[in-house]
Amino acid sequence: MREMIKMVVVLTVLCLFSGGLLAAIKNKTKERIKLQLLEYVKGPAVRTIFEGASNDPIADRFDLKEGDIVRNFFVGVFEGKPRALAIETFGKGGYGGDVGLMVGIDTKEDKLIGVGVTTHSETPGMGARAETDPSFVTQFKNLSLKEPFKVTQDGGSINALSGATLTSRAVCAAATDASKIYQQLKPQLIEKLKEFEK
Amino acid sequence: MAKSLTQEFVKGLWDEVPPFRLVLGLCPTLAVTKAVENGIGMGVATTFVLVFSNILISSMRNVIPSKVRIASFIVIIATFVTIAELLMQAYTYPLFKKLGIFIPLIVVNCIILGRAEAFASKRGVFRSFLDGLGIGIGFTLSLVALAAVRELLGTGSLTFWVKPIQILGPSFKPFSFMVEAPGAFVALGLMLCIMNLAGRK
Amino acid sequence: MGDYFVLAISSIFINNILLAQYLGNCPFLGTSKKMETAVGMGMAVIFVLVMAGIITWITNTFFLVKFDLEYLRTVVFILVIASLVQFVEMFLKKSIPALYAGLGIFLPLITTNCAVMGVCLILVNEEYNFMQALVASFCYAVGFALALILFAGVRERILLARVPTPLQDTSIALVTAGILSLTFFAFKGMV
Repeated sequence: MREMIKMVVVLTVLCLFSGGLLAAIKNKTKERIKLQLLEYVKGPAVRTIFEGASNDPIADRFDLKEGDIVRNFFVGVFEGKPRALAIETFGKGGYGGDVGLMVGIDTKEDKLIGVGVTTHSETPGMGARAETDPSFVTQFKNLSLKEPFKVTQDGGSINALSGATLTSRAVCAAATDASKIYQQLKPQLIEKLKEFEK
Repeated sequence: MAKSLTQEFVKGLWDEVPPFRLVLGLCPTLAVTKAVENGIGMGVATTFVLVFSNILISSMRNVIPSKVRIASFIVIIATFVTIAELLMQAYTYPLFKKLGIFIPLIVVNCIILGRAEAFASKRGVFRSFLDGLGIGIGFTLSLVALAAVRELLGTGSLTFWVKPIQILGPSFKPFSFMVEAPGAFVALGLMLCIMNLAGRK
Repeated sequence: MGDYFVLAISSIFINNILLAQYLGNCPFLGTSKKMETAVGMGMAVIFVLVMAGIITWITNTFFLVKFDLEYLRTVVFILVIASLVQFVEMFLKKSIPALYAGLGIFLPLITTNCAVMGVCLILVNEEYNFMQALVASFCYAVGFALALILFAGVRERILLARVPTPLQDTSIALVTAGILSLTFFAFKGMV
């Protein structure tokens, strides 16, 4: 009996110790891990979109609530003015699931600066070209936000990737989504952007 | 029987070097040695876990009842693996991504449980520390050696940290068999053969 | 249905757990010397892996994700697997002694078999739903058994061959595994 109790006590103490230690370390590293995720998962897309920006768009970011959802915005400084925003949205209905898209928006002229695919599980060589083939995403450059983005098959102006219409549609849907969010939140966003003026 | 402290450390580097002499921990050995960088990362992470779990297990060896000893070892090892996982995620994210599921899998690396059971649960703290360090460094060196062979033949370059360095000239045709799964088995098998040859004298 | 077929084929052949994903290599080399032990180990892995896959999937979905404890995944999974193996061992010993006689000695080895833990982690990382997790864990296990049994067949023949001394045992086994892996490599690009 005494042995049984000892066994249970030792195991419980070990598990508690382990849980406590891990929780403490988790809390210590939480911020850094979040930063690293931003830097390495979203960073490349944001940096390509904001090429030529004079600030570090990963460091200059803010959160804004839209209803219940907290959105993450990245700020791009061009010609000394914080005039560009990037936001990540997810387009439903890709071939392998949702397609994550980073969308850069010029707030002065209400047009797209560019887009970049962040996360996807599309077929390599087919839908995955949305990420790797630059000629697809450059089509979004300088498009006005007034109209929703559509592929040519749906009466829009974006040429779908051959053999990957579903993926292309998902990208368009994500871009349209971003544009809607931006237009809804525009007044607050412009306010927020002023904070980044130096 | 009693070995000197130096011997406890040195044996991990040649006499009992995993995965060659102790044929344990083959999965990470085969899986992560596509590039030297991955080998270093995996080796350091394993050494970290090995050293700390050895220290803790040996200092608790009189408290842990023998019936639940394996379960306790597993909890201790898993805790340190998770710490390594969190730290790598926070400080060396690209490497963390490349090693993928092989970081949590350090927990089932038989080298660590093997050392805990065969060594740390019976010896003193300092000896266990030296043993863990020796075996860990030996493991790291083996990974680096295997990765160097595979990467050099497979791509013609070596990646020590982040950027690949071109070693063999442009006339070298990469032998991509080496960086794929079959090459991993063959390269390890042949290196083991060379170790056997060298050890025979 | 077609999706499940593709998943099954890719789990058994293309992403074969032993020869393409490099998981579970210690038992692969350790228990492949004799056909008999290879079959036993293969069956034990199928048995445990399916159960472990399902249980860890449930633990992850309804416990870890829900309470935001994903960082404890490694600790929880290994404990779940270890206690599952212990439990299966006790259960078989008492209820189905015939099966225990066949699989019993392999069960403790499975706790540290990285194929089991590895598949559980893959199921979670790929965000499979329940049915997919079930199919995938079964097929990965079948792939493991298939490769192990094939390899044991080859190794029994090697015993009869004259192998140079330094290449003997593990060394020649690894080179052989490489050649076997090369044949599985041919499945790449099938899906």
